Formats: sequence, structure tokens, C-alpha cells
Amino acid sequence: MLFVELAVKGLVYGCMYAMMAVGLTLVYGLLRILHIAHAGVFALGAYVAVVVANATGSLALGFALALVVSAIVGVGIYRFAYQPLLGHPPFVPMIVSIGLFIVMQEGFRMVFEAYGISFDNNPYYTSTVAIAGINLNYVEIAMVIASIVLLVGFGLFASLTRAGIGWRATVTDPQMATSFGIDPVRVRYINFLFGSGLAGLAGALVGLLNNYVEPTMGGLVSYKALAIIVLGGLGSVRGTLIASLILGVVESYGAIYLADVFDRDAIGFLFLIIVLMVRPQGLLGRK
Amino acid sequence: MQKSFIAVALAAGLLFAGSASAQIKIGFHAPQSGPAAADGKSSTVGAEIARDWINEKGGVLGQKIELVIYDDQNKPEQAVPIANKLIGQDKVVAAVSGSYSAPTRAAAAVFQTAGIPYVSAYGVHPDITSGGNWAFRGVTLGGPQGRGAAKFISTKFPKAKVSMLTMNNDFGQSIADGFKEDFAKDGLTLIKEYTFGLGERQFGPIIASVKADNPDVIYAIGYYFVGGPLVAQLRAAGLKQPIVGAQAFDSMKLMEIAKDAATGVFVVGGMDRLRKTPPDLQPFEAEFKKRAGYDTEAVAANCYSSLMLVADAIKRAGSTDPKKIRDALAATKDFPMLTGTLGYFNSIGEMYMPLEVTVVKDGTFEGAAVIDDKTILAPPGK
Repeated sequence: MLFVELAVKGLVYGCMYAMMAVGLTLVYGLLRILHIAHAGVFALGAYVAVVVANATGSLALGFALALVVSAIVGVGIYRFAYQPLLGHPPFVPMIVSIGLFIVMQEGFRMVFEAYGISFDNNPYYTSTVAIAGINLNYVEIAMVIASIVLLVGFGLFASLTRAGIGWRATVTDPQMATSFGIDPVRVRYINFLFGSGLAGLAGALVGLLNNYVEPTMGGLVSYKALAIIVLGGLGSVRGTLIASLILGVVESYGAIYLADVFDRDAIGFLFLIIVLMVRPQGLLGRK
Repeated sequence: MQKSFIAVALAAGLLFAGSASAQIKIGFHAPQSGPAAADGKSSTVGAEIARDWINEKGGVLGQKIELVIYDDQNKPEQAVPIANKLIGQDKVVAAVSGSYSAPTRAAAAVFQTAGIPYVSAYGVHPDITSGGNWAFRGVTLGGPQGRGAAKFISTKFPKAKVSMLTMNNDFGQSIADGFKEDFAKDGLTLIKEYTFGLGERQFGPIIASVKADNPDVIYAIGYYFVGGPLVAQLRAAGLKQPIVGAQAFDSMKLMEIAKDAATGVFVVGGMDRLRKTPPDLQPFEAEFKKRAGYDTEAVAANCYSSLMLVADAIKRAGSTDPKKIRDALAATKDFPMLTGTLGYFNSIGEMYMPLEVTVVKDGTFEGAAVIDDKTILAPPGK
């Protein structure tokens, strides 16, 4: 029983990691930039949700705004931080990205105070449903549903719509796509809009799940998301999804059976090292 | 007439300027930026209240106290130059750390070399005091805290089977070690110990396993920001067992995060917010709330009391000579700290203080028990 419960908990965390990591892998696939500030967007989503929800009393409004604001900020980061640097080697935008992340973290601390904020009214994180004897709270269920709906939706968008096909073409071969009349700048906007919105929503959900939004909350998830996209094969969305779920489950078992030896966070990286020794290109990456 | 008035005013100005410069400088460092900034802010406000109240009552030895404050960002590499600056440039006669273990430990070595008395208000690493005889600690060490927890649990829940959740840093480990030394002797059974990191907020796997253990008591050692989510998730998972937390659960944020789930949680080494003694506790809580905008945090009380302790030592020494202040600190007897009465310092500057146990009730921390046992709480020597 415990064995099954651990797997279920792991999959829930995997969904959370997926929502965070997909945006990161989308940016890497398209621009070859390690978008560290993505973790700042994640925390931003959480702050918008908690501040708006506490001010208006409406959690739905908080979440809607979290989605919109993080998507817009993500696009803004591309437009004002990355676009002017596209001609430079990849480490230049990466350094900018790290700087931006630190600025965002300290900005949250200065604006919202260093002690984190809790939701005034949050019945969801303590209300649970028992499914086959396993307790899941409403936020965990919402996280799983949101990640499935959004990622399936994106998959359909990428395979069925003109804009989606254009996006895939641009990721595969930017020059060829451009010569076929696809606007690469528009594709990048779509990319950041979707990835950042997803991260912002994930942040809001994690804030609700912990009932605690803190300036540094992006930090932990950020390096895990980095590990995940490397594990999945840099730039591969499908690989990222699989890696997220695997990492969630591995951590879940590790927290019980390996924690005397390794920190839960170290377990993920240990797993990463082992996989990379066998498959240096990542789970689904191309050689 | 006007000229003489100006002359008088000038003379008065000079006089005040003169008296203002004759101040006793005490150094203070705390993390005011970075991840530990929240505790840094509370610490600083606590120390500033002590400074202002001392000065309002006429200061010490007829001089005002000046607190020289630096931001150490919770980094040892910042704390060392700060300590040097406090000693060389600011010429402080004593210093208080309102910071965590790592920077405090680094700075303690500098103060030791320079021969300046130094009080760690709440940093718990053993090495802070073990480096010499100039450092003192204003908080009970992890070992005695853990032994106190075993004593409390065995008194309140005799023969209990305990599941233990430990944060894997020096704070968590030292308390866990103390508990593990004593639990068997106190008739308790330890079913299993789980460890988790400082950044952990989701305890699903651990809680699933604790549920399978079905313990009588859950003993959790961690900070409030892990404790809040942990307590909420334990209750949400349907675990109704008593939860005993460690000292760093003591923050009003615990209730804010966990809401009703926090009710009934015990905190070993907590601070009873409703206590009427010492007489400055209730005024301090009111003043802190006014200045900080939120309710009193235990670290603030620790910093307040540590500065009060240093001021008291200067008074008893009758001098601002660091050596004499150190000797006066070492000779402290029954000094009323906000967290309890500091009985004495041992030879390496570790204090003895009865350990208070609080319980969360009606949105605050209320006293539940006091452990005053000189054997189990004896501060460790060298």
C-alpha cells in the first residue's frame, strides 16, 4: 500500500515539475538559452495569486491574473533581455538570466517582505479526497488536471494548427522555416507566452499547496527543472515530461528509502548522473 | 542679546555633540538581505528596541549605547570583514550576533583573536563558543534541547512510540542527537527517523510512511516554514497524533501557514507569549508589533535579551574595558531573559536556562510546561 501511495505522490510532484520544466525546455529548444529567470516567473505567479486572492477574496481571479501576468512578463523578458543578445554566445543571455532571477527574488523580498505570505482563505490544501485509500488534497488533484489539460492542449496546438506547425518547424530548422514565410519572432513570443503562463500557474498552485509564498520559492524548483531538462534530452518536450514524472517518483521513494544517506534533492541529481553515464544525450535527446 | 543667544545655542549644541560622541559602541550583525532576511529583520528590530529602552533610561555608566549594525547576508565571508570593521574601525567594546550559525561561527574567531566579548543570540552551532573564552551563547544548545524534548514527551505521553522527522542541517541534527541519547532511558520507543532538507515543503512520501508506522507521538525538528506545511499536511492526511515541534517552530508564521491545523502543536524551547514575567516581556511584544508590523518572533526576543545582557555586564563591570566586560558576562547569575531566566554560563560560555514548552492555542503560543532539570539540560563543556 505504502509502495503505491509513494508512486502516486511522486506522480503528483512529477506533474508540478513538468509544468515548470516545459517552459524551460521550450526556450532552450528554440533559442539555446538556459532561461534561469523562469524560476522567477514561477515565484511571480505565486505572488500575483496570493496578493490578488487576499485583496479581493477571489481565488479564481488570483489564478487568472497569475496566468496572465506571468505570461506577459515572460514575453517581456524575451523582448527586453534576450532579443537584444541573440547574436551573442549562449552564456551571455544565461548570465543576464541569472542576474534577472536574483533581481526578481530580491524584488519580491523588498516589495512583499522577507517573511512569506499565506492565503487568507485556503480550504483546498487541507481538504482531501481518498481515492482507493490514498489521500490526495484538492490542490494536488488540480495540479494533475491542469498539467494534463495544458500539456495535451499544447500538443494538439503543435500538431494540428498552422501556428503550431510553424512553431515546430522553427524549432527544427529556424532558417528553413523563415524562408517558408514563418515569422520566427512571433514563434518566440508564443513560446514565452505559453511556457511562462504555465510556470506562473504552477507557482500559484504550489503556493496554494504549501499555503506559503516566499521570495526564494523559485530557487529549489529552478535547479530541479534544469536537471529535468538535461535528463529529458535538452530541448525535447516529450523527454522533459517523462523525466519530470520519473524524477517525481524517484524522489518520492528516495525520501523514504534513501534519505538516511542522501538528501531528497540530491537523489534527483544522483539519478541524473547515472542516466547521463548511460545515455549522455538524455532520455529522449538526439546524439 | 541676539548674539549671546546664538552663542548659548552654539555652546549647547557643542555640549550635546560632545555628550553624543561619548557613546558606548556595541556591534551587531544580522542577515538583512538574502534568504535569511526575515529573521534578520526581526533580530535587528529586537536589538534596536533594547538599545532605545536602555538609552531612554539614561544609558549605561552615564553614556548612551550606540548599536553599530551591519548586514552579513547570512554569509561567513561577509561576517569576517564585518567583525574586523567592528573591531578596527568602529572600536566596539562588545558585539552581538543576530545571525545564524555559519556567519556567527566565522565572526566568533575574529572576536576571539581581538579579545572582544561576543554574544550569539540564537546561533546554535557548538563551534561558536568552543573556540575560546570570549564568545557566549544566549540560547540553549541543540543537545540539551533534544534531551529536554525526550523528557517532555515521556512525561506527557509515557511509553510513547515516536516517529521522528529531522531537518538535515546542524540545527536539526544536534537536537536529534540529544533526543536519541535520552529517549530509551525515558521509556520511549523510536519507530523511525525521517530526514528532509531545509527547502522541503511537500512531505507526501514521509507522511504516507509515518501513517503506516502509526506512532503515538510525532516529533518534528525543523523551522517554522517547514513546520507550517508539515503540520497542515499531517492533519490533512488524517493523522491525529500529538505533534511536538522543536524551538524553531516558534513563529507566528506557523499558525498563518497551517491555520487551524497548528492548534495543539507543542514547541519544546518555545516562548510563552502570555507570560507576565519578566516585566518587560509584554511591553516588548507591543513595541515589536508597532515597529515591525507583525507579532513578536523568538529571534527578536533573543536579540533584545542578548543586548540587555551585554549592557548589564557593562554596568556590573563598571567599565567599558572589553576584558572586564567579558569577566562580568562570565559571572552572570540569574539574568531575566525574555525567553526565561539565564541561570549561569559554564566555562566555555554556554548558558543554563530552564526549557519552556509551549502549545499553540487561540492563535498564540501558551506555556504548557517548564523543564528545569540541571542534569539533562546542563550545557556541554569543552
